[in-house]
Amino acid sequence: MLDLSEEEVSRILAELLWTEKYRPKTLDEVVNQKEVVTRLKQFIKERNTPHLLFAGPPGTGKTTVAHAFAHDLYGGDYRLYLLELNASDERGIDVIRTKVKEFARTKTPGNVPFKLILLDESDNMTADAQQALRRLMEMYVVATRFILVANYPSKIIEPIQSRCAVFRFVPLNREDVVGRLSWICGKEGVKCNQDALNTIYDLSEGDMRKAINILQTAAALGEVSVSNVYKVVGLAHPKEIKEMIKTALSGDFIKARNILRSLMVTYGLSGIDIIKQIHKEITSSDIDLPEEAKVELADYVGEIQFRLVEGADEEIQLDALLARLVVLGKKIVGVAPKRVGK
Amino acid sequence: MSVSKIPWVIKYRPRKLSEFVNQEEAIEKIKDWIKKWLSGKPERKAALFHGPPGSGKTSIVEALCREYGFQLIEMNASDYRREQDIERVAKLASAQRGLFANRRIILLDEIDGLALAGGADAGAIEAIVELIETTRNPVIMTANNPWDLTFKTLRDHSVMIEFKRLDKRDVLEVLRRICAAEKLSCDEKALSFIAERSEGDLRSAINDLEAVAEGGGEVTEEIARQLLRARDRILEPFEVVRKIFWSKYVWQAKLNATQTDLDPDTMMEWINENLPRQITDPEDLWRAYEALAKADVYRGRIVRTGSWDFLAYTIELMTAGVALAPKNDPKSKFRWVKYQFPEKIRLMSQTREYRALRDSMASIIGERIHASKAKVLKDVLPYIRVIFENNVEVAAKIAISLNLTDPMIKYLSQSKGDEIIARVKELRKAIRAEARKTESKKGETQKNTKKSEEIKKQQVKGGLDSFTKKTRF
Repeated sequence: MLDLSEEEVSRILAELLWTEKYRPKTLDEVVNQKEVVTRLKQFIKERNTPHLLFAGPPGTGKTTVAHAFAHDLYGGDYRLYLLELNASDERGIDVIRTKVKEFARTKTPGNVPFKLILLDESDNMTADAQQALRRLMEMYVVATRFILVANYPSKIIEPIQSRCAVFRFVPLNREDVVGRLSWICGKEGVKCNQDALNTIYDLSEGDMRKAINILQTAAALGEVSVSNVYKVVGLAHPKEIKEMIKTALSGDFIKARNILRSLMVTYGLSGIDIIKQIHKEITSSDIDLPEEAKVELADYVGEIQFRLVEGADEEIQLDALLARLVVLGKKIVGVAPKRVGK
Repeated sequence: MSVSKIPWVIKYRPRKLSEFVNQEEAIEKIKDWIKKWLSGKPERKAALFHGPPGSGKTSIVEALCREYGFQLIEMNASDYRREQDIERVAKLASAQRGLFANRRIILLDEIDGLALAGGADAGAIEAIVELIETTRNPVIMTANNPWDLTFKTLRDHSVMIEFKRLDKRDVLEVLRRICAAEKLSCDEKALSFIAERSEGDLRSAINDLEAVAEGGGEVTEEIARQLLRARDRILEPFEVVRKIFWSKYVWQAKLNATQTDLDPDTMMEWINENLPRQITDPEDLWRAYEALAKADVYRGRIVRTGSWDFLAYTIELMTAGVALAPKNDPKSKFRWVKYQFPEKIRLMSQTREYRALRDSMASIIGERIHASKAKVLKDVLPYIRVIFENNVEVAAKIAISLNLTDPMIKYLSQSKGDEIIARVKELRKAIRAEARKTESKKGETQKNTKKSEEIKKQQVKGGLDSFTKKTRF
């Protein structure tokens, strides 16, 4: 039987996703976003803060900074004073009226000035919920402060924005990302070369979460090399999207639709994720489309995405897009596929 | 489609007893019986109105109440009529009337619709008899066929009042009146056709007239024949889809869509599934899909605004919009192809467990890494999957620290799932052994004890979740 030392056990139990394992716990550990951090430290010194709105692209540290801020404010057991909700999963008015309201109105322990409510991905909150939230922000401001985290602050209604101090998070620069990745490699005892880390930065577009995910996955393949980095990115992105586009362009609608269905069921990808990837693919060089066709498609892809945002049925809308691709495919080839399907 | 529109059968219901066609005999008998009630005790406290459908039984009760100032207390087939429900009505029936309160009429409509034999309305007959015996108000029952043995006791307690089947002339007269009131130009031959096929059922005749007027815009014999033949039965889904695709006119496509029990959502799936099988020219197919997609957009607007008015546009686009899409190859829609049950519906029910597993895993991980389910599915699971397909050792450790179940592990790795599961088992066993060892070396440091207690607690729970959480902070 396997015999493990105590240390080995702790190591197994700590084998987390690196994004979590190496998430900065305090504001001092945050490597970038200097301006944001400086201002937040001021709030901690004063032991007072307005409502906060953290805005910026994915993977720039918004959620991390929110937790670090709470940690520095309350200490190690900060979770007692922090309610964390993810607005993408709990975005309706009910959650605002029940969970948020309940937490907001509970009494604050004497030793802390106020409690914090962290609303992650809050740009996904419904309009109703935002209106309800706006009222709560006023009513319970004495004992509760909100931190709203959002990719697109424009999706937060004006009255809420005006009640918040807005912090803009910028994409991380190369030195910060590469430096952090190489620090993680050292901690993990993983061999990694500088070119590979630079490649990761290029592929992750300043998104630290993505960069660390690629790093951990490449390490699991043996070593962090340029070729492994590319391999990981290739494997992680479902090839089916490209295949689906090509199938539709070749005229086989029914087969393309089957691929679409398996993407939604197997990967659980949402219609919007799929359409964004389709958009990426058709503008890439891998898919051979005349330039005018790409422009024509951009309009229709955008239209379909808009409908999805408005709550239309994912499959039917994407089917319409596939049908459009079939038409385009026919024009490009010049020879009409006689029959679609079968 | 408008919700506020009143069906003609209700709009043109006779309001006075004198307006009923050809039921004079029945009306006389009813008046006699009611007069006896008003002047004291009738011999029979209940009346059983029987006759073919659409001969006016229920309408007469309503007119009667209006004319004599009764309050109507009604129970029909849409209500539960279990023993206790009837007893509740019986209480109202037997109540002493206040000095100025209205008299009441108790109407038990469609008693041949009682679900008797072991059904939901068991014990109903006995309860009705009881009701009749105790009532202080007239009780009226209606039935198409009262001669069934089950109703014998009810017959014995009731005045039997027969409603005659209306003849064609009676029906025709009413139809003409409605045409005039609606200012419709109605072809006499069409009305005659409608009256004929109604077989004395005035309700169905009025419904038919309304359908023809609405579907065709005018009432001609040709339209009536075309539409009404179709109305005769509920079609199988694939037949409906075929008829929708084959339609040449907007009204035809819409009407075909009414010949089914399917709700619009399910019908949309049927159309979606079979559209590419029927329409094959790429441009035609795209036009059809754009119509279907727009129908879906209007469906979304129903949800968002809460206004069912938009359903009309949904239906028109998904039926007529699709049917009229073929232009390059207009004959394609008449081709006979084999249709299929909507794959999406089948897939969704087949994969329910699989999707639930996927989603619960995404929320476990999401909670850990502070991200939404959607974000985990899109940005995190793809990488975890690559790890699980390529590195058993790391995968096993991640599985332990995230406390993933065996099915979750298999979801993440089709090729190495079993290997990872075996390794997880081995590691967990070793972890427990180590925990026991630590425990036996009790009291070394406080920290150590705390930790092993923690582990012990975890063993009881069979998970390691909260332990790892602790080690993180």
